[in-house]
Amino acid sequence: MTGRTETLRLPTVQVGSFLRSRAFARVALSILGGLSFLGLWAALSEWKFEPVVLPSPFAVVENMRVLLSEGLVVEAFLKSLQKTLMGWGAAMLLGIPIGLLMGRYRYARAFFHDFVYLLANVPLVVYAVISLVVFGISDIGPAFVVMLLVLPAVSINVAAGVASADQGILQMSRAFDRRASVVTRWVIVPSVLPFLLAAARVSFADSWKLEALTETFGSASGVGFQIHKAFTVFSVLDALSWMMFFVIFVIVVERLLLAPAERRIFAWRNPGGATES
Amino acid sequence: MATAERSIEELPGFDPRDAEGAVEAIETADPLEPSSRAHGLWRALTSDIAAVWTARILAVLLWALAGSAIDRIPGPVEVIDFLTEHSDLLWPNIWVTIKSALWALSIILVAGTLLGFAMGRWWQIRYFFTDLVMVGIALPAFIWALLAVMWWGFDDIGPIFVACVSATPMLIVSTRQGAQSVDGDLQKMSTAYRVPVTRQFRQLVLPTMSEYIIAGFRFATLAAWGAILLVEFFGSEEGIGFQANYWYDAGSFTGMISWGFVMLVIIVAVDKLLMEPALRRARRWRAESTAWSL
Repeated sequence: MTGRTETLRLPTVQVGSFLRSRAFARVALSILGGLSFLGLWAALSEWKFEPVVLPSPFAVVENMRVLLSEGLVVEAFLKSLQKTLMGWGAAMLLGIPIGLLMGRYRYARAFFHDFVYLLANVPLVVYAVISLVVFGISDIGPAFVVMLLVLPAVSINVAAGVASADQGILQMSRAFDRRASVVTRWVIVPSVLPFLLAAARVSFADSWKLEALTETFGSASGVGFQIHKAFTVFSVLDALSWMMFFVIFVIVVERLLLAPAERRIFAWRNPGGATES
Repeated sequence: MATAERSIEELPGFDPRDAEGAVEAIETADPLEPSSRAHGLWRALTSDIAAVWTARILAVLLWALAGSAIDRIPGPVEVIDFLTEHSDLLWPNIWVTIKSALWALSIILVAGTLLGFAMGRWWQIRYFFTDLVMVGIALPAFIWALLAVMWWGFDDIGPIFVACVSATPMLIVSTRQGAQSVDGDLQKMSTAYRVPVTRQFRQLVLPTMSEYIIAGFRFATLAAWGAILLVEFFGSEEGIGFQANYWYDAGSFTGMISWGFVMLVIIVAVDKLLMEPALRRARRWRAESTAWSL
């Protein structure tokens, strides 16, 4: 009982020590880091370069506000997201069976090894070029190359998920004559799912970058198309604004969607929950 | 360990760019059905090497098939023909790209390891830069490339600049993890026994960090190739990327794909012949030391 009253008093007492704590220093330092970068940028645009060459951060924020109010941004992002998700869907359809084979059979592992390596090591530009060559200016091109890019991540991680399935439980299911469908549902799927999410986290940013890049090469819609438009009229201001939107989108999806979802779905594996480094 | 550079959150998940490491991890987790149990011809056909070569031959056949079935896609024969026909262009342009890469990679290596080490060693510096590095990783190289073309036109600095800004954050993250994973107890003990700092660095810090640095540098190299190629494509008068763009403007898909193929060969060659052996070397002591501690 006494312990409880003590914990109730903690917040009010600790304000002073919080200001001196590591957690506060952490927040303060990271804000300081961001501010000094913005300061450097503002100083460079103020004294070193013309505003046409390097607009100030304030001008970029203002421009972002205008773009946002025009409704252009949301439309472009939705369009790009749609193509990216199409690519991801196709990659799942193809990658999951390949991953299952790779996790189960040594032969499949060796067979697909080079494909996985090669597809993951092709530079994004080459993918964009392939899209342009094969599909011309179309919506399928970006989706297709996103599939190629994501495929290795999906297969490798599904394979790792299969391998991580508890061998003891698998043997026991065999001993007790459980049907394959039951084993799949209750042993394989729960082992593989977290790894699928890991695949999403590992290659979400890259797939998104590739999608936009492919759009700059040959597309009539989406984020990449808008960025290309900024480039053709030589507007550094627009390019920087889109760059900021891009970064915000990637960080929001990774930090607020994928990472927490993954931590939650992996939680059953380490009940201590100490995943933060 | 294989994917140390990517998992900022310390969550499991494999990066396919390190297929070797991922497959190794899968095999150690689940050493099932060794194919060596089979016999004779069957055994030879299902061996790892046979599987790898079956896949390679099938891939070339598939490419040839796609090339002959679809007009727009050039097959392997056409690509080889094109490259032999334009072999005089090959070396000068490759050299331009490699020169940019050498410059960029030197800068990346110095800046990335220094900043990464500082971030791992001192928490103030770590917190100061963590968010900036995260933004740096999220920034797409192709927007940097477009900006570089707008800023410098056809200058040589463009490719080097874009490669540095887009690849250095990857090396920083990896090096930081390496610096943080240096054994603190051992370090304290060495200090207590007055082991000279230089020897501490050579025998404790460096061996721990080298693996992380090389793994990070490997991914940074890959990113740097891509960045250089992009800038050359959008605004340059020489280099592999420029050639790809040139042939695209000339309406030759064969030329475009051929130059892409050249780049791919260089990337794979550098990775397989330089990076992988270096990484294996850097990881070797770990296997020996665990064997010793068991």
